[in-house]
Amino acid sequence: MTPDDLLNNVSRRTFLKISAIWTGGAWIVGIPGLSSQSYDVLTREEADIMDLLADCMVPPDDFAGGKEAGVTNFIDQQISRNGYLTEDRDLYKTCLPALNRTPLKEYKKHFLTLDRDARIEYLKKLERGFYDHSTAEEIWEPFIPSHFFAKMRDQCLMGFYGSPKHGGNNNYVSYRMIRF
Amino acid sequence: MEKKRVNAVVVGAGAGGGVAAKELSEAGLSVVLFERGGLVTHEDHGNDELTAQRSFPLACAFGPDNERYRRVYRDLQGNERVVLPNEWDYQNNAACVGSGTVCYGAMAWRFMEEDFKMKSTYGTVEGSTLEDWPISYEDLEPYYEKAEWEIGVAGDDSINPYAPWRRKPHPMPAFHHNREARILESAAKDLGYHPFSIPMLRNSVPYNGRRVCAHVRQCVGFACPVDAKNGTQNTVIPTAIETGNCELKIHCKVAELLTNDQGRLTGVSYFDENDQKQIQPADIIVLAASATETPRLMLNSTSKHFPNGIGNRYDWVGRNLQGHAYCGADGLFEHEVYTGEGPGASVAICDFNHHNEGYVGGAMLANEFIKLPYAYSSGYRPPGSARWGQEHKDFQKRYYRRNASIRGPVQEMPNYESRVQVSREVRDHWGIPVAKISGYKLDEDIQTAEFIADKAEKWLQAAGAVETWKSIPGKGVSGSQHQAGTCRMGDDPQTSVTNKYGQVHGVDNLFIADGSLHVTNGGFNPVLTIMALGYWVSDYIVKEWQHGNRF
Ligand SMILES: Cc1cc2nc3c(=O)[nH]c(=O)nc-3n(C[C@H](O)[C@H](O)[C@H](O)COP(=O)(O)OP(=O)(O)OC[C@H]3O[C@@H](n4cnc5c(N)ncnc54)[C@H](O)[C@@H]3O)c2cc1C
Repeated sequence: MTPDDLLNNVSRRTFLKISAIWTGGAWIVGIPGLSSQSYDVLTREEADIMDLLADCMVPPDDFAGGKEAGVTNFIDQQISRNGYLTEDRDLYKTCLPALNRTPLKEYKKHFLTLDRDARIEYLKKLERGFYDHSTAEEIWEPFIPSHFFAKMRDQCLMGFYGSPKHGGNNNYVSYRMIRF
Repeated sequence: MEKKRVNAVVVGAGAGGGVAAKELSEAGLSVVLFERGGLVTHEDHGNDELTAQRSFPLACAFGPDNERYRRVYRDLQGNERVVLPNEWDYQNNAACVGSGTVCYGAMAWRFMEEDFKMKSTYGTVEGSTLEDWPISYEDLEPYYEKAEWEIGVAGDDSINPYAPWRRKPHPMPAFHHNREARILESAAKDLGYHPFSIPMLRNSVPYNGRRVCAHVRQCVGFACPVDAKNGTQNTVIPTAIETGNCELKIHCKVAELLTNDQGRLTGVSYFDENDQKQIQPADIIVLAASATETPRLMLNSTSKHFPNGIGNRYDWVGRNLQGHAYCGADGLFEHEVYTGEGPGASVAICDFNHHNEGYVGGAMLANEFIKLPYAYSSGYRPPGSARWGQEHKDFQKRYYRRNASIRGPVQEMPNYESRVQVSREVRDHWGIPVAKISGYKLDEDIQTAEFIADKAEKWLQAAGAVETWKSIPGKGVSGSQHQAGTCRMGDDPQTSVTNKYGQVHGVDNLFIADGSLHVTNGGFNPVLTIMALGYWVSDYIVKEWQHGNRF
């Protein structure tokens, strides 16, 4: 066994420890098909929006998507009081509900209920700044939709590809996926 | 409170400061070595990419922290903003015992002879303060050797026809290549280049009582889990402490250099680990706080005799900030080139460091360190690629093991406007004005970078890459991990900050021993040169001291 293997074993053990505490404490029973973990900062609805965004950023296929990999948990932990991204808490608290409501006018639906193609189309517009100066603007204030998108996208990738010790990348799924 | 007087204070336990502390204490001087950070080991952060010192999106494991540190960055449009240590524009290196040498990639380059006489080689470059060093490669050669043997370098220069001459070989044999480097090595040979194994401050055989490199993937940006990477924290600093003459004070932040009514430097003030202000009197002071923090300290030390900051009579302190104009190319392969054998960077060429027709300077080119999963997900793909969604995920799956990159640190032409100043408005946790960074690269730097990136791309194509693209640096000022040049050495006090021994003009008991001294920054990573300068400056101090000179 090389020292590298050894280290990976240590990290795996640490991970098992963390996930045991986690499954032991934080999961509650809920509607089948919907994740029902409770979070520190995000409300149920905000977490559902975040889950859906995480799955848009990293869609599930043969390997877990963003939601199953724990990206929402990563974001929630990082914007909580002891996280590294505490200063982004207001950003998420304001922008997640705004992101959900913005498609109402154009698509007559919340983000959460858009079908897949519309969801992606909407997010691409959001990314390109299409809503930065629209009437939807006030529900985003003081934040700018495309800026939120850029940060959220980046932080989803951190949650999916970063070390599980920060709350995402469950079971090292991304490491296994790319065969790191 | 005033502490007991010592012979020498060294500010900063990084590359240059670690060496200076050891040399002075071994020669019998009493030394206090100040470090604002603490001891950081592998156990403290493990393999966590998100806080490692290379891409640090969440924090910098090797310091400084986001709570107490700030800088001001002025962009090309003249907008100023406050930046935190884990933002790129902060231009961080590190802050802990050993500084960047704990977590570096450990490339151990000697600059070439031309790198010490850039002006003689290339003439005047419009808009640049290009100058020859006041010392030559020949002057520094014995000190490079000392750094290689005392700190520990594995390499073999005999296969690099462009390597500068040397008296003694490297103390450890060169590393073998991993699969990717072998592919690139043979392509380089096909192109008529002269590839060789990068000299590394890592153990290819057991050395100095420590183990051999374990080839982990998390190397650059991390401390070594088996302590096979050689920095100042596991070599010269422990030796300094063992002499019994050197006290290492960690979590102590030097605030100001103190002068008396006659204009003589008498010591430093600092904040201890409890934020209490203390005074440490000393006969001489060696600044090794990095190319950003050394000028900041000097500019913050104003007094009757030094109204513009100490050593700053002719306004050269903080000028000529240089890093490198990093450029290169990336390529995608049909077959797997990745094996997970770290650290990744392994094969280099020096065919394009100098004498590139129509260009000033150049760079060595080397393959890139292993890209960690998050870093790979946020960059390293052809322009216009998907940044999220299924296409992005598919790219990750397909290409993580099928890509290679080549990078080169293009030597920048120094300029007077790229600089470190102190902010008038923004202060750090201790109330000290923070560093303000501003400036730009010259067009010549970008042109050379385009030329070098083109060579990198051709190299990847020759190695079988099916798709390639270049990366060219922007015009913004560079500093960061390769920061240098802000207190250049020179013979003329009107156009430099120190003499050729790192002694500040007009302040006899003040020396500098870090990257600030570089007149130019070579087409190489700078640390071995900074260590060699640490030995060079210390050697002068010790010889003079032993002759009774108290400066
Ligand atoms: C991830 C990474 C990879 C790198 N890879 C390479 C490589 O492969 N090859 C290479 O050549 N170089 C590499 N480097 C760069 C190398 O580490 C630097 O060139 C070198 O450390 C600079 O030396 P220095 O003595 O000028 O400053 P530093 O080594 O930064 O030392 C300065 C020290 O002073 C301390 N300090 C600053 N202000 C104060 C104060 N007021 N009071 C007390 N202490 C203070 C700092 O905390 C720091 O520890 C890398 C750096 C990093 C971070």
